[in-house]
Amino acid sequence: MASARIAAPRRRRRRSEHAGPLAFASLPLAFLFLLFLVPVARLMLLSVEGGTFANYERALTDGLYVRVLLGTLQIGLYVSVICLVLGYPVAHFLASASRRWATIGFVFLLLPFWTSLLVRTYAWMVLLGRNGVVNRFLLESGAIREPLPLLYNMTGVLIGMVHVLLPFMVFPIYSIMRRVDRGLLLAAEGLGATPWKIFARIYVPLTLPGVLAGMTLVFILSIGFYITPALLGGGRVLMIAVLIEKQVREFLDWGFASALSMVLLGAALLVYAAFRRLLRSDLQWS
Amino acid sequence: MREADLAVSGIVRRFGNVAALGGIDLAVARGELVTILGPSGSGKTTLLKIIAGFELPDEGIVRLKGEDITFAAPAKRGIGMVFQNYALFPHLSVERNVAFPLEMRGVRRAEIRERVAAVLRLVDLADLSARLPRELSGGQQQRVALARSVVFDPGLLLLDEPFGALDRKLREQMQLEVKRLQRRLGLTTLFVTHDQEEALVLSDRIAVMSEGRIEQVGTPEEIYAHPVNWFVADFVGESNLFRGHLGADEAGRPVAVTESGTRIRVPQPSFPVGSEVGVLVRPERPRLMGDGQQADNVLRGRVVEVIYVGESVKYRLRIDARHDLLVRWPFRERAGTLAAGDDVTVGWNVTDMHLVAVSGQA
Repeated sequence: MASARIAAPRRRRRRSEHAGPLAFASLPLAFLFLLFLVPVARLMLLSVEGGTFANYERALTDGLYVRVLLGTLQIGLYVSVICLVLGYPVAHFLASASRRWATIGFVFLLLPFWTSLLVRTYAWMVLLGRNGVVNRFLLESGAIREPLPLLYNMTGVLIGMVHVLLPFMVFPIYSIMRRVDRGLLLAAEGLGATPWKIFARIYVPLTLPGVLAGMTLVFILSIGFYITPALLGGGRVLMIAVLIEKQVREFLDWGFASALSMVLLGAALLVYAAFRRLLRSDLQWS
Repeated sequence: MREADLAVSGIVRRFGNVAALGGIDLAVARGELVTILGPSGSGKTTLLKIIAGFELPDEGIVRLKGEDITFAAPAKRGIGMVFQNYALFPHLSVERNVAFPLEMRGVRRAEIRERVAAVLRLVDLADLSARLPRELSGGQQQRVALARSVVFDPGLLLLDEPFGALDRKLREQMQLEVKRLQRRLGLTTLFVTHDQEEALVLSDRIAVMSEGRIEQVGTPEEIYAHPVNWFVADFVGESNLFRGHLGADEAGRPVAVTESGTRIRVPQPSFPVGSEVGVLVRPERPRLMGDGQQADNVLRGRVVEVIYVGESVKYRLRIDARHDLLVRWPFRERAGTLAAGDDVTVGWNVTDMHLVAVSGQA
């Protein structure tokens, strides 16, 4: 009896330790539950309506959908790699620049976020078209004779998507770069490493967690893209989101649209899990 | 002196209008371990960075084995350095960390494996070669850093306060281990620390630095027993230091008269009569005196503080209104019999003391 009496208040105290944060998070949790988890669950049910997996069978065997799904993953890969190639140096610049230059850099990086995605996409159409600003400039400067096909194809889609997603690559890499101990680079130099070796053997491995995080983020965001490929691809670049929309709006086939969505979700989760694995094994030292 | 491996001459480094280093001359002979000892802000780390090549001097020359390396890239200097926080590469195993400088030098794989294994055996880490740095204790990390900095036979080993992060016992153990390794490999070594005890234990010679200048260079014994000025006397070891003006007593023997009028007999000075000097008496020199005992200087004092330090006890005695005298007394002799408030007689001979210039007084 005595021990129970002693234990009781302790347990109460422990529960109250969690009560604060839980209450704090309850509103966002309720929000997520009602507006995200419930709809996703409904979608899942919708995709197996009638108790059959026919929708999934179609999504995973029909040549068109398989091709588009693979194409979507491919575009995701291209976008991630291009973002990495462009974003790594930018992140390095931001991480090593003086305060003033870093601020200027961040403003430029964040500027697109303050404009609507639709407006930005239309802006790219103005820039990239046959008679767009880019082609006219290149023609008039004599660099090319024929206008370059920049719009309504893969090039246009990639340009638009990279533009939107670049910050998602830069930020995780930047934050890791800021944490790299400068002393390690000095030590490597003192031990006889050339600048290139310091970069390849020390700096890149140390910033790899940021790279993996950025790649994950950009890849997962990119395979769900809809507006940019729809507008800049001109119907010639099919991504899975575009097909899903068609199923809903034109064919009113909610079941099949749901199955396609689930396949997309599954692909995203798979990629996320794969990167998580890589990330974890690589974070072991930090 | 043996041939100097490292010769630093006339090094000046200014930050704005402030001279962080005001003309440093220092030579380290082959196989010698020299310590740069100074308080923080004395410029010792700046000097180390200039020698390593991470910073450039405004004036002066750094020579390593006769070659001018003042402006050489750090990677070209062939200097091994152990950093304060070890700077081990967190993503590389112990083995790969130690192999790094050899890989950078394009040494063949088989030879790298051999040399890394040999040096890891030397620092007693052979069993841990596959571990990552974060899986090691502080002392082990320290030894990896040491192994990495000596594996490529550097022309010079630099140690930048490497024991600061270790607890006392481990620190003492590592100090001896470093010294043993340094002896065994015959490494010319420059060691930077603010810990005077560490400097006394480790060094062949010590260079005491203050405010961008070297105040004195000498063996630990010289520095401790014959400091050249107030700063060195005060900074190295425990000390009783009194200001006084030189004069003579009735018998014509030299004395120093302190501010409060106390006359202290001193050794034959090299300073002119009337000049102000610092009178240094190390705490282990004065003796607690019984009746009938004689000494050149005999003073009455009252115990104001008793400090036990294990093997001995320290008494702080008030000898006049302005001066305390610290006396260190071995435990086995009359220890513990005195308490605060007791009146005692202490005495010491002129051979127990040393006069220093008051320049460099903090």
